[in-house]
Amino acid sequence: MFNWLRNFATPAQLRAAGVLGMNRRNYEIIAKSNRRRLYPLVDDKVQTKKLAATVGINTPHLIGVIEVQNEVDQFLSLVRDYKEFVVKPAHGSGGKGVLVIKSYDENHFVTASEKVLTYNEVYQHISNILSGLYSLGGKYDVAVLEEMVHFSTQFEKFSYQGIPDVRVIVYNGFPALSMMRLATRESGGRANLHQGAVGVGIDIRTGRAVAAVSHDRPIRYHPDTGADLMELQVPFWRQHLEIAAKGYEMTGLGYLGADIVLDKYRGPMMLELNARPGLAIQIANGRGLRDILKNIRNHYPHGLNFEQRLDYVLK
Amino acid sequence: MLKKLKSVRTFLTIGLLLSLLYAGFSTYYKVMYWGFNFTPSKTTDVWTIEEHVSFVPDGRKITVSLARPGKIDGFKILDEDIVAPKYTIEKKSDRVIVSSAPRKRPQDIYYRILLYDNVDSRGKTEAAAPAKPQKPVMDEQTSALAAQLLETAAAREGDEVQQIIALFNQTPPDETVQSFVAAPRTPKATAQAVLDLLALKGVSGRMVRGIKLAEAKKTLVPDIMLEVYNKGMWKVYNLETGKKGLPGDFIIFQRGNQSLVDLEGGTDSVAKFSVMKSIRSSFRMAGHRAELSHSRNWFDYSIYNLPLNEQNALKWLMIFPLAILTVVLMRNVVGIQTMGTFTPMLISMSLVKTGFWPGLICFSVIIGIGLLIRAALSRLNLLLVPRISAVVIFVILIMQALAIVGYQWKWEIASSALFFPIIIMAWIIERASITWEEDGAVNATKEIVYSVLVAVITYFVIVNEYIRHIMFAFNEYNLVILFIVMLLGTYTGYRLTELTRFAPLAKKGARHV
Repeated sequence: MFNWLRNFATPAQLRAAGVLGMNRRNYEIIAKSNRRRLYPLVDDKVQTKKLAATVGINTPHLIGVIEVQNEVDQFLSLVRDYKEFVVKPAHGSGGKGVLVIKSYDENHFVTASEKVLTYNEVYQHISNILSGLYSLGGKYDVAVLEEMVHFSTQFEKFSYQGIPDVRVIVYNGFPALSMMRLATRESGGRANLHQGAVGVGIDIRTGRAVAAVSHDRPIRYHPDTGADLMELQVPFWRQHLEIAAKGYEMTGLGYLGADIVLDKYRGPMMLELNARPGLAIQIANGRGLRDILKNIRNHYPHGLNFEQRLDYVLK
Repeated sequence: MLKKLKSVRTFLTIGLLLSLLYAGFSTYYKVMYWGFNFTPSKTTDVWTIEEHVSFVPDGRKITVSLARPGKIDGFKILDEDIVAPKYTIEKKSDRVIVSSAPRKRPQDIYYRILLYDNVDSRGKTEAAAPAKPQKPVMDEQTSALAAQLLETAAAREGDEVQQIIALFNQTPPDETVQSFVAAPRTPKATAQAVLDLLALKGVSGRMVRGIKLAEAKKTLVPDIMLEVYNKGMWKVYNLETGKKGLPGDFIIFQRGNQSLVDLEGGTDSVAKFSVMKSIRSSFRMAGHRAELSHSRNWFDYSIYNLPLNEQNALKWLMIFPLAILTVVLMRNVVGIQTMGTFTPMLISMSLVKTGFWPGLICFSVIIGIGLLIRAALSRLNLLLVPRISAVVIFVILIMQALAIVGYQWKWEIASSALFFPIIIMAWIIERASITWEEDGAVNATKEIVYSVLVAVITYFVIVNEYIRHIMFAFNEYNLVILFIVMLLGTYTGYRLTELTRFAPLAKKGARHV
């Protein structure tokens, strides 16, 4: 009769496991570490890209920005020199409104998930971005055209279509917790956990998988490719963490989530920063975040540069 | 940082306690002095009795003494008002005395009381035994008549008082009665005759003068009843029917023989009584009560002194904080994700107006049809603003169609479509359809179902008539809600849904321990 209760944990159990809840995240972490005026730095991807360049963080090359409706029909001439490209809203969140075109001619645009779109459909998509369909609060937005990331063959067997990315939570400049998000058939090639992507907890010191979840429940093998997720090892791990840690200097945000992809040719690149990273990363890692953040806040040294912080974390 | 958190919480907790204290005091005050109830009582009959005394001064010092109803069983005096310009007014427990220096012109004095029906506990007055009545002095013939009357009466039904009253009221009139009391027989004369007969039997009685409440009544003579002392109590008798007990609609002004109006310093005095009935909301009456309790100023600056229209609007608004609190609880403590922060609240407000099932069915129909149309629209590749505008217009058209169909087919359900906020409906459709395209039908349905769930919960909180009444009558509770909401703003505990979401982590943590 009370079997369903087994799906519940008591607050005391969660506290013992160091789980960070949404309310505490908002009240104790975000409200205190992230000043609101810093948000635009990460909410606008064009700005983020420019800032990243100043501190030497790699990001996908910017092809162009479409700002008003009557520029939309110029998108073809903008991407003329590129074999593939990505369109995304500058103020989007959670991968909404991102369109990856991996090959095209005048009227056939093949997306990352092998869907073929017409010119009109792509035009419409960009136009929708401008009218604010994907932006927070429905405000007018601009469309960012950038180079496609060539995802590293190392991850081929771990991801179904789409590009896997690494999310690192950075607190006071110290990488705290990280995970890799792998696309599945269900997630439609996207790396969003709530859409059905697989989350793999990555050990912050070694870059090696520690646990994996799908729909908030632990798994061992990728649901589509069948790969053993525990074999996952992120190459260039220190460079990943370096990008994440530099995000602190770059934005001044005390609590941020850095989304990093590994490009076959250019190495780890920052896709975006997030001032309100979600909490699912705890489930992917099979451990809570709260005690980690507490430890960083109370015991980690202050005033280090990013190299020193990395050394401190990796030692 | 933790210290700061504590001080904010302490501050808000103190605020909450103070607001609770204030609410408690205010509730007590409103109940005691303004007569507010916790249960919604809609209207109360209010009676206005006006006594109009007019006279011509005769050059002496003027003193008018008016009988004043004291404590009236079953009625509460809301307001007592004497219009007697430049007179000195003195109120005694049973008389109002109005006096002035000599005047010349004919004078008019108004004495007005406002009563409302309070309880139905009326009837007998306990009192100490009065002195034995003096036997009336009668001539021989009259005492013979009286003896005959008492004898005849004894054959009738009822107690001795009722027997006599019945005799006096029989049709055709008893001849002995007619010779005992001279025609035309006024109620006063009848009453006096009955009292005389009772006195012969050694029973104490007295006349009771007052006003029988009847709509739009105007009279020169007060109504009279009899009060007879029996076994430690004064009992009231109807002079016409002999019925015992004080009728619910009789207001006693004066007991005994003293007249209702005594005038010194004038002639040709006429006292007229008029009675008016009005139905008022209990909040309107609160003003009068407030005046009686000398808290009029407070009342003037309360919402209950506003015009009825504004009061009704405010009554609607006063329920919002509670609805907001429900939404806050659902989102931050339970952890249900909804479309838009206050969309569920607005839906629940509409449900209150439409009724639960009609509203829910109509809502589903509008959203369902709207989603189908929106799916068709997305093929047209319209820009966002024109597209959402088109959805708004479609929603209006659907509502219109439902209203017409509902009327023609006698489905009252359908006509409730008109109460839903159009723009909100359009946005729900737009949001759901985008979620549908991006995250699939399951997520879109989830979003809608969760929002409706919160709306339904909110609905059941605010639909309750008692709760609505209380939130309006004791609007200071909104201050308490304000502090609760702010305190919830510092709530850092787990949300209910997180207890299952993060349950896998806890199992692990438990194993380590």
